[in-house]
Amino acid sequence: MLRARILENKLSSLYKAGKIVGGVYLGRGQEAVSATLGTALIQGRDFFAPLIRDQAGRTAFGEPLIDCTRTYLGSVEGPMRGRDGNIHRGRPSMGMPAMISHLGAQVPVVAGMLFAKRLQGTLTGRVGATCIGDGATSTGAFHEGLNTAAVEKLPLVVVVANNQFAYSTPNDRQFACGDLVERARGYGIGGFSVDGTDLLACASVIGEAVRRARHGGGPQMVVAQLLRLSGHGEHDDGSYVPTDVREGYYGRDCIDVAIGQLVENQMATAAEISEWQDEIAEEVQRAVAQAQQEATPDPYLEDWTALSTRFPISQSTAQ
Amino acid sequence: MSVTYIDAIREAQEKLLREDDRVFLYGQDIATFGGAFKATKGLAEQFPNRVFDAPISEDAMIGMAVGAAIEGMRPIVEMQFADFSSVAFNQIVNQAATHFYRTGMPIPITVRLPSGGTPGSGPFHSQSMEGIYAQYPGLVVLTPATVSDAYHMLLDGVALDDPVIYCEHKFLYRWLKAKSINGDHLPIGQARITRPGKHATVVAYSAMVHEAVRAADRLQQDGWEIEVVDLRSVKPLDMDTVLASVARTGRLLAVGEAFPWGGVTAEVIARVTEEGFHLLDAPPQRLNARDTPVPYHPKLWAAHRPTPESICEALRKLLSF
Amino acid sequence: MPQLGESIAEATVIRLGISVGDTVRTDQEIIEVETNKAVMGVTTLCDGVVSELRAQEGVSYSVGTLLGLLNVTDEEIARTGVESLEGIEAKRGSSQTNSPAQAEANLHFALDDDAYEEAPAVVPSVKGLPVPTGVLGAHYISPRMRARMDDLGIREADISAIVGTGAGGRVTVEDLERFLDYLDAWPSSPASPMRLAVADAMRRSWTRPLATVGLPVLLDRTLDHRRNHSPKPGLTLYLLRAFALALAENPTTAGYLIGDKVVHPRSFDIGVAVQVEDGVVVPVMRKVDQKSLSELVAEYDDLVDRARRRRLSEKDCSGGIATVTNFGTFGLTTGTPIPLPNETLILGIGAGVKKPVWSKQVEAFLPATEADLLLTFDHRVVDGGGAGVLLNRVSGFLQQPDKL
Repeated sequence: MLRARILENKLSSLYKAGKIVGGVYLGRGQEAVSATLGTALIQGRDFFAPLIRDQAGRTAFGEPLIDCTRTYLGSVEGPMRGRDGNIHRGRPSMGMPAMISHLGAQVPVVAGMLFAKRLQGTLTGRVGATCIGDGATSTGAFHEGLNTAAVEKLPLVVVVANNQFAYSTPNDRQFACGDLVERARGYGIGGFSVDGTDLLACASVIGEAVRRARHGGGPQMVVAQLLRLSGHGEHDDGSYVPTDVREGYYGRDCIDVAIGQLVENQMATAAEISEWQDEIAEEVQRAVAQAQQEATPDPYLEDWTALSTRFPISQSTAQ
Repeated sequence: MSVTYIDAIREAQEKLLREDDRVFLYGQDIATFGGAFKATKGLAEQFPNRVFDAPISEDAMIGMAVGAAIEGMRPIVEMQFADFSSVAFNQIVNQAATHFYRTGMPIPITVRLPSGGTPGSGPFHSQSMEGIYAQYPGLVVLTPATVSDAYHMLLDGVALDDPVIYCEHKFLYRWLKAKSINGDHLPIGQARITRPGKHATVVAYSAMVHEAVRAADRLQQDGWEIEVVDLRSVKPLDMDTVLASVARTGRLLAVGEAFPWGGVTAEVIARVTEEGFHLLDAPPQRLNARDTPVPYHPKLWAAHRPTPESICEALRKLLSF
Repeated sequence: MPQLGESIAEATVIRLGISVGDTVRTDQEIIEVETNKAVMGVTTLCDGVVSELRAQEGVSYSVGTLLGLLNVTDEEIARTGVESLEGIEAKRGSSQTNSPAQAEANLHFALDDDAYEEAPAVVPSVKGLPVPTGVLGAHYISPRMRARMDDLGIREADISAIVGTGAGGRVTVEDLERFLDYLDAWPSSPASPMRLAVADAMRRSWTRPLATVGLPVLLDRTLDHRRNHSPKPGLTLYLLRAFALALAENPTTAGYLIGDKVVHPRSFDIGVAVQVEDGVVVPVMRKVDQKSLSELVAEYDDLVDRARRRRLSEKDCSGGIATVTNFGTFGLTTGTPIPLPNETLILGIGAGVKKPVWSKQVEAFLPATEADLLLTFDHRVVDGGGAGVLLNRVSGFLQQPDKL
């Protein structure tokens, strides 16, 4: 959580200093949800399709910080090599597919990854997870994907971070059911609700959803209530969020809550946490410095082909 | 013994399932039922747990296939009709087609599109979508016209590491027969001269190849020798063969069954005009379906798409220039 | 000024949170700016001391404008990876020398205002109507035929002898190849550049509807005048002078039709056709209507001399409005001369012939020298009536050589 927050603060700063091309989308206020999901998953075995506010989940799942800074700063060394940016990065060969901007689209993709493992006979003990927001629950892709996963009884965990605004559109213009978790019953899958600002609650509830999926319980949906503590992107100041909502219960910062919980339960001292923060800040600074100094893509060296196959295939090499 | 076009598609899938355990079939009503057109008849029994019925969720079907491909599989997805692939458009053009360019990992999925019109099929069971998919970078678009191509190009398409849109023509399913599936086997990306000629070139693909050959037969009675080029794949587009043919004949007619605005025929003509202007004796012509939805009634349908009569008429106009 | 949003081009500085000499820390928000979307803070990326502030509160700056400078230690630069001003300038310099297109392509990376300038409006380089479509028949040359003709250096006029077998009687590539094969059996020689130049001019001129009218003219008075004049002007010079005076009275007759407009003569500069080896050249005499015969003689002799020696410059042969040709010098009595492609008129004269002419004064046939005066004109511009008026005026002037 801390690593994500400090990294994202740095991204925001880089953006405001004009060093980042394109948008910056932060997960402020969603770290507890995202980090507990990433922590519950096992890299190398499980699949994780992060969405735009999942820096914490990515980090917890094992994505190195340098992947993030390289992608944002356009380094040719990054996983997307300048061909795609910011939160669209992924490493599909390591179980972390690269998202597309079309919301809900990753739900069936993770389902398909799990389906492949079933066909290969290696599904047992695996889980696939993806995060989406309240807005994405309105898409056909979300419905089709979740329904298909339910039909196939795949170990898929979908975490809905209900941050109350899809860009600027509030919940009451997005859906008419009382609580999104009611939909789980309609799909015939497990459903959980959790306070997304409460780290220990998230760890417990999301951990339980992952455990159930891992042990044959089929798809699980977790709806986490929280508030986005930044704009949709850094170009947006979120001024449409009413003051009473901003200052209401979910306006509290999950990081503050988490630090309180850790100290209270004697899991860490305030001094230790402060030390972590300093260490992480150094680590983030190194990742930024390295990515800044690396080469950006060269349009003259780019091969400008979207296919891995090189046509024409000669008659002798064709089977 | 003869083999139909749909037999060839079924047999290719059978061979793929038998020889490559990465291959599985996914689509609506394709398992026990054997598919709306019976292109997968008997395969579910023959290959248990390799042929799956999908919910009516075209977007999720392609999403699932992309995910499975990431994890090493080679799914073949049957859209019940090409028309319904519009529901999966996002997953095809944004997820599958961009994946290799963005991440460096290709997505070897094959999407079978039962394409084109048959009498009485109407606006939503008759469309030809090849031009739309060919417009997007990152896709290979195959349009077999012969029984042998239907067989070999499906095998070759599944062997490619890139996403393949395999447009199979519904009219050819049972109408087209061959003695065997072992016709000449050209690689993907190479067009075929279906019929040699010297007075004009007709570039066609899929079912239109046969309509063009019938038109050429009629014109032969008047002494015209028409060369028919079967593109086989619209992407990649074999311009070498097309230009070589136009160099021989000096006249070009491009025929397609898709809607007239843009598309494959426009692309062929644009490229010939660009690269082979000096080869032309007459302005290149194109013939497509009409600019309306595909009509239901067989009389309207027959006048909506190019026919041997309309191809003859277009060729006579071209030859008289 | 950073790019604070995808469609943001400028932002207004609301508050400067720093002054020169202040120490700033990494990620400190130092300047508050307002875009048309939101209010936000501009941050620093490293520790340093403000050495210069160029921005002012309340002023709007375009993206990429330098707002101020920080003094930063080398250690801090190494720690944070920030770019120094020198580094940015060096990179910009190298990108300009190595790959300017790349620098332009990365507009987001551009740091100076110039990169955001709009491209100037494009002025179409080709004026006029589109090429007519639907051209059928023998005159149509397909791109394929044109390409083959260009290969062989063959012009449209060259294929006029070929009977076309293509659609609408068109000459096809096959027809052309057959004709060339047939010609291979005939003796041939390469055409000289002069021959090709004349051929090209005549081919271009012949695309117009040309008509020729004639009038017999008595030359005795002119020839008498010439005998008594020193230096002796040639007969062609008399004709030139008479033609210029006649044209000066009827300038529209020499007008040149282009589109829906007739271009009138600026000056009565008349060309004279001079036969040279394997061709014809046409040097131009200037302001012939304003000079006396005596003044013209030297100019004429010089031009003709240089023409024969092939010493004419391009300027000597340009700007004429009409041409005079004396094919009588070859003993020819009549002909249909062809005007230059850029002229509407050509006046020719045949050889003088002794003829009995009835004299009213003595009521008897008397011997006289008569020649045919021939005027070819572009019938789009001039009609038979106008041509007749012009010829009669020329004939009239030749009867009064003293006035020339």
